[in-house]
Amino acid sequence: MFDTLDLGASALVAQRTRMDTIAANIANIHTTRNEKGELSPFRRKFVTFASGQAGDRSKPGVHVSEIKDDMSPFIRKSDPGNPDADADGYVSLPNIDLAIEQVNSLEASRAYEASITMMETTKAMISSSLRLIA
Amino acid sequence: MFIENLLNQGDAPMLSEMLRFTSQRHKLLAENIVNVDTPNYRQKDLSVDRFQSMLRARVEQKRSSPAGSVSFDDIGMEIENPRAGILFHDGNNRSMEQLMSDQAKNALTHNLVVELLRKQYASMEMALKERIG
Repeated sequence: MFDTLDLGASALVAQRTRMDTIAANIANIHTTRNEKGELSPFRRKFVTFASGQAGDRSKPGVHVSEIKDDMSPFIRKSDPGNPDADADGYVSLPNIDLAIEQVNSLEASRAYEASITMMETTKAMISSSLRLIA
Repeated sequence: MFIENLLNQGDAPMLSEMLRFTSQRHKLLAENIVNVDTPNYRQKDLSVDRFQSMLRARVEQKRSSPAGSVSFDDIGMEIENPRAGILFHDGNNRSMEQLMSDQAKNALTHNLVVELLRKQYASMEMALKERIG
């Protein structure tokens, strides 16, 4: 029964990683340059989940299998005055849709809550079993 | 031998078997909940009806047999993949509402069984002490 708590913890870690990725996407919604200052719009990132715990895949649970770049085209916006605009006066902005990120973050936080509820139930079951001894 | 007979009296073996079932099922339900966003994950469950009917058969068998001759240890629990629920585009057939309610029901059953077992042990203790309270 105690290992069911590890199972819940694996989900919390996975959903938090997903939330971090979403936060990074939202924070970089207008980023047109990379960390070296070169012109390279930020690419939307997303996580993929796989079953099994991060440390030991044979144990039941969930883990982030990889964080991938979304290769869909960048959003082109007409802004001739912008120093990052191309010859036609268009700026390439990150391929991030705020609505999608919002929905994903809701989904992640609901899944996180569900795991917390599950862990609470596990704790209640464990403590009721322990009352057999006491 | 005496202690073993004492502990296996009444419904204690059946109750402990039920505890084994509820904890196994809780683990599977927990696995389903944490994998709610995992692509191609198929839900797992234990059949409550099948377990109950096997348990019922065993209880009836116990009633008509001499004490201690029927064991509850070998009641099988097979993991099954329920077909109910919508199969989403990511290949996962989750149903969060069903999962949460199953989990709550299972936990309540677990607590009920623990309580019944406690009562049984308490009355045993009372008999051993030869005094009430």
